[in-house]
Amino acid sequence: MARDYDHLFKLLIIGDSGVGKSSLLLRFSDNTFTGSYITTIGVDFKIKTVHINGQKVKLQIWDTAGQERFRTITSTYYRGTHGVIVVYDVTNGESFANVKRWLHEIEQNCDLVNKVLVGNKNDTPERKVVLTEDAQRFADTMNIQLFETSAKDNINVEEMFMAITRLVLDSKLEMMKRQNVTQNDTVNLKQKNKPGKKNKCC
Amino acid sequence: MHSSRTEDLREFLSAVYSARIADPGKKFLVPFNRGESTFSVDVPRPFQLPSIPENRNLTEYFNAVDTHNMIVIFASMLRERRIIFTSRKLKRLSACVQSANDIIYPMIWQHIFIPVLPMSLIDYLLAPMPFLIGVPSEVLKLRKHEIGDVVILDADANTVESPYDDLNDLPKKCPSLLQISSLKKQLRNKSLGDGVSRAFLRALVQLIGGYRDALRFEPGQKVTFDEDKFIETRPLSLQPFLRKMLELQIFQQGSSDEFEFELESYCAKSGSKLKQQYKEWTSTMKKEGSAFFKSVKDKANPAMKSAVKTVKDGGKGVKSAYKGWRSRLRDNQGPHQLQNGLDGGDKPRSAPNSPTDKRRTTIAGFSAPIASYRKEAALSFKNSSVQRSYSPLSPASQPVSPDVLDTSRSASPTIEIPRIDLMNEMEDLLQLRLDTPPVDRSVAAVRSKARPKSRELQKRLPLSSPERWAFPAPRAGPVAASPPARFFLHSLNSRSAAAGTAQETQNLLQSPDDVFLSPSAPPRVPPRDAGCGRDLFGTAAPFVVGGGHSENGDPLFFVANRHSVDIVKLSPLTCSPRRKRNEHSEDLIRLDSTSDIDDFDPLKSKSSRSSSNASNQAPLSLSNPLYTYENHSVKQNGGQSTGSQQQRSNRECNRNDQDLLQEYGLDFNFSSRQNQPNFDPFNINKVNSQGQWTKFE
Repeated sequence: MARDYDHLFKLLIIGDSGVGKSSLLLRFSDNTFTGSYITTIGVDFKIKTVHINGQKVKLQIWDTAGQERFRTITSTYYRGTHGVIVVYDVTNGESFANVKRWLHEIEQNCDLVNKVLVGNKNDTPERKVVLTEDAQRFADTMNIQLFETSAKDNINVEEMFMAITRLVLDSKLEMMKRQNVTQNDTVNLKQKNKPGKKNKCC
Repeated sequence: MHSSRTEDLREFLSAVYSARIADPGKKFLVPFNRGESTFSVDVPRPFQLPSIPENRNLTEYFNAVDTHNMIVIFASMLRERRIIFTSRKLKRLSACVQSANDIIYPMIWQHIFIPVLPMSLIDYLLAPMPFLIGVPSEVLKLRKHEIGDVVILDADANTVESPYDDLNDLPKKCPSLLQISSLKKQLRNKSLGDGVSRAFLRALVQLIGGYRDALRFEPGQKVTFDEDKFIETRPLSLQPFLRKMLELQIFQQGSSDEFEFELESYCAKSGSKLKQQYKEWTSTMKKEGSAFFKSVKDKANPAMKSAVKTVKDGGKGVKSAYKGWRSRLRDNQGPHQLQNGLDGGDKPRSAPNSPTDKRRTTIAGFSAPIASYRKEAALSFKNSSVQRSYSPLSPASQPVSPDVLDTSRSASPTIEIPRIDLMNEMEDLLQLRLDTPPVDRSVAAVRSKARPKSRELQKRLPLSSPERWAFPAPRAGPVAASPPARFFLHSLNSRSAAAGTAQETQNLLQSPDDVFLSPSAPPRVPPRDAGCGRDLFGTAAPFVVGGGHSENGDPLFFVANRHSVDIVKLSPLTCSPRRKRNEHSEDLIRLDSTSDIDDFDPLKSKSSRSSSNASNQAPLSLSNPLYTYENHSVKQNGGQSTGSQQQRSNRECNRNDQDLLQEYGLDFNFSSRQNQPNFDPFNINKVNSQGQWTKFE
């Protein structure tokens, strides 16, 4: 089948309500921004194709309604995705606390999913309450990349999406490479009834 | 409805729009056609297990999909898969999706849920996260190959395609699921009722019912849910499955706050209903008070004597049964602290309650109606603002109550009770033989927001306090009339092991007032405070003034104390051997304000006379807080016969549900009855907790 892309990745954006998940997505996919807040009902998604290292990567980016009601984000929530974009609002300390909690949880579960940490609304320094140093320190301990973005001023948005896409692509390529080397020892993720996908690394 | 004129439709629609939604379980009535016709629809009841054939969704689902495939879908939902239902018929499609969602009760699907997906949203089938979506057949054809790993149930062909093996992942040792398979056979014989949904609920109870074993509680600290401990306490065969289950959003979320939130709000509502019934009762009592006691003397005496004998003989059994009543009272009546006469002197004050601030030292009275309802009273009460604004501890009601108490005491029919020798006899007997603890209704206070000291009290909590654990902590539901918000202090910091369950329970356990209100050993009556100087009985202990049977045969007791008469309904006499002790009560008679001798005959109490229907409603409503919504309903618009029939069937399923809960130890009313006073909440492992809560066979 002729495809118009080399890779199709599903990305998931999570974070508290109002941190700017939809705005980030709109900025990235349509390069627009609206100041008015329209809450996402359930789920929404956008598709954008990007080029990385000469490869066409089709991104299907899923934007969900805020998850602040979740005490934890369980792996079922993101097990179908290739990458997770975890967003907090730099002007809202609670949103940062929540994503910290979730990332810790994900870390504990040893779930192998690519993720980036995004502090959005990084455009009005006087309102900023989550300091870059704190966020960076946390990101380092979690061993994930931190981006401070502004969907409004179009700061760092493209970079962030490209970074997560690269992460996903790299891990996919690496996996394919490993698969080619030891064809018989690995578990094909596409295979039915495989145990691998949900298994813990520890 | 058959009028073709558009203004009729408009008129009807605007009437519907402006009509007030009736309470759940009642009929939503909209008069139209200039009052000539009435549109009527039953308001759905929460917490009613869907039954066949009443629930159209489940009936449709059950007809379209065989039990095996239902179990496959159930298993897939418990693994939070991406699940697609498909059918050519939209009605069947949405019915199946809806009832699949109902079947995982008390869990709630946390993910995308779309009963019928329109063509324009077809791309949403590509969503990577779990979903439960109904897709019309023709829509599904287009995208099927792109969707990826997804469970597809074809409701027309009764087939399931699944890339997973969730069914075999389900613990084999899950008899309830086996039962489901045999349900089809039963269908031929009789109506299934809620058998299907109950079987699934039972399966869930078997799987996760013991979550309380894993609750960790330290005085002054939050209750936490220890996942590892939870797994360890479960049978070995369940453990692998449960490990996975703990990772579910559905588990982390669904079984805790939503479930328990709903229960809280349900109980708040039932509280006001009971108050209404109480009002009716008191007004009846005023008018018929003398007849009441006359009839007690004249007609009840022989039966009462035998009751006394029975009590004597079965002292120990009754004693423990009495504990059961207490816990039952606590469970069910918490919010029902009734404060009579808020609207002045025209209302009878047969059994006013002690005000809440005195409740620590007095036996708070509670009354449920035993007399026939008077419709006028019901209606007038309905209109009064008391019902809406009522809150046992609300600032509005609290200041009023002491006065009410004082003025009303003289008018109280209860005061007449000592004049009857029988009553003294009973009282003495119960005092001597049973060492009866006071009827403790403190939960009303415990569960209320207006208890600022609750935390402080908790710190003083004696380490081993039976009362505390008897209190229905983890199910959390049945009591509180207080605003549910109080139970949802989402402490986001407790990320550790804080599964949702833990959080809920924690808040409930942090309401230890009942411990102080009902000292455990010996369960004597605390001293009265000055405001309650007259001790009419020479004691404050409650005593049984009568007994009988509710309509469905459940034994009832009327427990009188200083200010009130309580109705205690024992759980239905069913197969459970643990309930044997209740049989002592069978000789007891039921006191009623009517002088009809029939009412004193337990065998005849099943008669379907509408008056006895009415008089029996209330006690039943005290039984099981979970599914009894409709039992509180007061008939409206003369729909007597159908109403009572409906109520009877509700009662039946109510009883069944209770049986189920009790069987698996989730009925706190019951399990707390077994909890003997030495039960130590901090040592729950020692206390044979599995035997009490869960049963695996």
